[in-house]
Amino acid sequence: MIKNYIKTAWRNLWKNKIFSALNIAGLAVGMAACIVIMSFVFYEKSFDNFHTKNIYRLNEVQSFPGMVSSQKVGLSMYPMGPTLKNEFPQVKNFTRVKWNDKYQVTYQDKRMFLPQAFSVDSTFLQMFDFKLIAGDRKTALEKPNSIVLTQATAKKIFGDVNPLGKTITHYGNDTVIFAVTGILQDIPKNSQMQFDCLFSFSSVYHKWMNRWGGNWLDTYVELAPGTDATILESKLPAYMLKYSGRPDITKFYKLFFLPLKDVHANAADIGLDYINYQKFDKKATNLFAIIALIVLLIACINFMNLSTARSAERAREVGVRKSIGARRLELAVQFLSETIMLSLFALVAGMILVWISLPYINNLSGRDISINLWASPGTAAIIIGFTIVVGIVSGIYPAVYLSSFKPVQVLKGSTESGGNKGTFRNVLVVGQFTSAVFLMIATFFVVKQLRYMQQQDPGFTRDQVVTVPLDGNTDQKYDVLKQQLLSSSLITGVTAAQDVLGSHLDQTGVTFKPKNGPAKQLALTQLVVDNNYLNLFGIKLIAGKNFSPAKSASGREYIINEELAHELLKDQPKNTPIASLIGQSFGNDSLGVITGISKNFNFNSLHYKVETMFMFNQRNWGYSQLSVKINGGKTNEALAFIKSVWTKNFPDRPFEYQFLDDHFNDVYKADAQISKIVSILAGLAIIISCLGLFGLASYAAEKRVKEIGVRKVLGASVQSIVLLLSGQFVKLVLMANLLAWPLAWYAMHKWLQSFAYRIDIKLSVFVFTAVLSLFIALLTISFQSVKAAIANPVKSLRSE
Amino acid sequence: MIKITELQKYYRTEEVETIALNKLSIDVKEGEFVAIMGPSGCGKSTLLNILGLLDDPDGGSYLFNGIEVADFNERKRADLRKHNIGFVFQSFNLIDELTVFENVELPLIYTGVPASERVARVEKVLDKMQIMHRRNHYPQQLSGGQQQRVAVARAVVNNPKLILADEPTGNLDSSNGNEVMELLTDLNEQGTTIIMVTHSEHDARYSHRIIRLLDGQTVMENIMI
Repeated sequence: MIKNYIKTAWRNLWKNKIFSALNIAGLAVGMAACIVIMSFVFYEKSFDNFHTKNIYRLNEVQSFPGMVSSQKVGLSMYPMGPTLKNEFPQVKNFTRVKWNDKYQVTYQDKRMFLPQAFSVDSTFLQMFDFKLIAGDRKTALEKPNSIVLTQATAKKIFGDVNPLGKTITHYGNDTVIFAVTGILQDIPKNSQMQFDCLFSFSSVYHKWMNRWGGNWLDTYVELAPGTDATILESKLPAYMLKYSGRPDITKFYKLFFLPLKDVHANAADIGLDYINYQKFDKKATNLFAIIALIVLLIACINFMNLSTARSAERAREVGVRKSIGARRLELAVQFLSETIMLSLFALVAGMILVWISLPYINNLSGRDISINLWASPGTAAIIIGFTIVVGIVSGIYPAVYLSSFKPVQVLKGSTESGGNKGTFRNVLVVGQFTSAVFLMIATFFVVKQLRYMQQQDPGFTRDQVVTVPLDGNTDQKYDVLKQQLLSSSLITGVTAAQDVLGSHLDQTGVTFKPKNGPAKQLALTQLVVDNNYLNLFGIKLIAGKNFSPAKSASGREYIINEELAHELLKDQPKNTPIASLIGQSFGNDSLGVITGISKNFNFNSLHYKVETMFMFNQRNWGYSQLSVKINGGKTNEALAFIKSVWTKNFPDRPFEYQFLDDHFNDVYKADAQISKIVSILAGLAIIISCLGLFGLASYAAEKRVKEIGVRKVLGASVQSIVLLLSGQFVKLVLMANLLAWPLAWYAMHKWLQSFAYRIDIKLSVFVFTAVLSLFIALLTISFQSVKAAIANPVKSLRSE
Repeated sequence: MIKITELQKYYRTEEVETIALNKLSIDVKEGEFVAIMGPSGCGKSTLLNILGLLDDPDGGSYLFNGIEVADFNERKRADLRKHNIGFVFQSFNLIDELTVFENVELPLIYTGVPASERVARVEKVLDKMQIMHRRNHYPQQLSGGQQQRVAVARAVVNNPKLILADEPTGNLDSSNGNEVMELLTDLNEQGTTIIMVTHSEHDARYSHRIIRLLDGQTVMENIMI
């Protein structure tokens, strides 16, 4: 029986090559999109799954006075790990992790910078399941000055020499000689922790670390199996009061746990999240999955539409089979096996598309997704099973519909294919185009919002600014560098700061002492800057004056932003001028004065509102970011010049730089990825919908060939025939637009809420999408309509 | 073998009700060859469809081998059809995507005959219909006469007790038409009951009895000598 089904199915497919090709192409594109996106989704969900213990990351909700709103951060305090273990028996283990970017190490005459070195507790390797290929997991980090390298790092430093027991030296604020005690297999890409080496905290321990109040590392705890983290969280305020020695600590901090497996995808609202490789909001991942399923659904609808439209051609066969004894179920199974076979063909074509598109998707997403069906029979089984489900979903309606034909009617030539069935087909077309139009509108808004973020004036200029990272050593020669750089006309300005704009900046406690009231303690975002910082970045002052160049003023002058000014004046009478703050006492360690108030500028991404912040010039605190404004017309020469100055001053240090624009592109990278992926999926949705529309238009033209012939004989023009054939589909696409508009408006309204600065939802986008979708639909239909309209009526009437 | 009593069938549209069969009663004995004749719209094909369980009557009784089948559900009808009834249509109704062999094999597949037995039975019947040399051809590669021979082969391959033929020569020239009628006569002589709808007096003469219908009722019965 099955053989007979397959034979009939194959011959039917072959006989109707165009319809089969349209069906297979539509399904293949839909399946390919779905497989690629689902691979991405599964990859995202695989982050940190290889760890077997019940690990949580400790996070804080900080609510400092002076802050516009509280903030969640991934940071915690050094004493928290051991005290948590001490206090709660449920805490089986802990490790703290401090990231150290570009960590310099020396081996013999080799000097290099490791992109990421983690200082950790000795328990790190007992908690996390990173594969250790040499050394002892329990003792490798036990002693001070122990270091564990990844395989690639070991190879880079030692070549083919066995690294175990060898020593390397770190020269810096803490000069440490490390002994290599272990080698780790290279860190999997789907790990939120990416590092080149681990060394024990005890190697770099300072007494100040053990103070409560400083949030500068991540803490991970291993909870006993079955522990309810929420119940444990409820006990954390009492724990903090007990150990911190600060009775007001719970006013400023609230602690919470985040499961390790959620850190990658469920920490979108957590800032200062420095150890979170390729952090990506699971909402976006889920959105992709939903859109991919919609695209697949559109492809399935295509199949249903084309199959039911062609039902008249299969009706006689149904009648014949029934007359010789076929049961309805047998016929339904026959038609379902056809759709399953077609889905399997589509799968083959789809896998070719996947194979072609995967490198592009990997490049776009920065992921390392691979689909190797041979190596993973489980994946192959899932994909084939999924294909069969697609075949069943696509074929169930045509199968039920076709097998319901009454033999007596279909053998007489009647298929009842008009009326209700045509209406159902129209409903499906409307459903398909509603989804496609929805995605088109979403794409326009996503792209517009992204462009808005990239082009929005952030309140400072970031064009032609090159940033170069500084460390404790290179910072000492900042003044020399500045002087040498400014000697060239290629450079128009040089400044420095402790942070780069477009990042979460550090916060610190400060005191504001108004002339007419008590002192207030505040915790605010701070930026330590050189005295010409505002000039180079074009940050405008709305009151007061800029930092004075006199060295004696260093650390005494504060420039606050407008947001902070409003915050400081909130208890004052309403009409108190902003400038009244100038000269008032403000500062951290030793009080200085507010000398200026800057216009608000977005030092973070536009996802966040401008926070209260202040800048001050404290040269001896050091800078970590050199910013060089270059002559725009001579970029290459300017870069070469900066490099030459750098190399002259630091011959053994690599010159690394980034344009500030590129840094902001990095800040918006996830947004750009979302925008691109949604655009691609919307494009595919339109293409697949149009494939279906093309098939239906061709079928409609074919069915009405006699009518067209008669109309032409009676004097109808080509235009009127084209209008006649196109009109029905135009109505459907218009209806789809009307349905998609409110859905898209709601979805976009919700999505845009996640941006503090966002575009308006304008009607023009909806109207434009309607015009565009109609144009695309008309273009698709017109080929068939014009072909039918210009055909010689004699032929069609004769054949009748 | 077949006993229908006061069989009724109406066709209704929103405005009109047409009576296709008006309390029609007919008996057909096993081994008979009956021709049904009458003008267009007299109910011939409707009767044949009801006899073949392709359509439901609106009233009356239909006994097939003594069993009331008028109220059979879809599944029982399919089972009864595949084991007992063969159809021959005016327009042949072969499946274009299947070869001659496969078309004839189809009823055997639905009755669950094993593959090895199917080959033997199909070859035997194709041989008998003198169409064996065309076994791998598709219907559209055959002449009308050949297609109808294939259709007859398909109708008889399951050895049905009853063959229902709806104007089997309607689309054939006289030579091919005669050939088909000879085939049906042979089958009848071998014991198969045949009920044939026809407009052709010539074809009707092959039968034992002619039932003439008008407005859904029997108006005359002729016994052929």
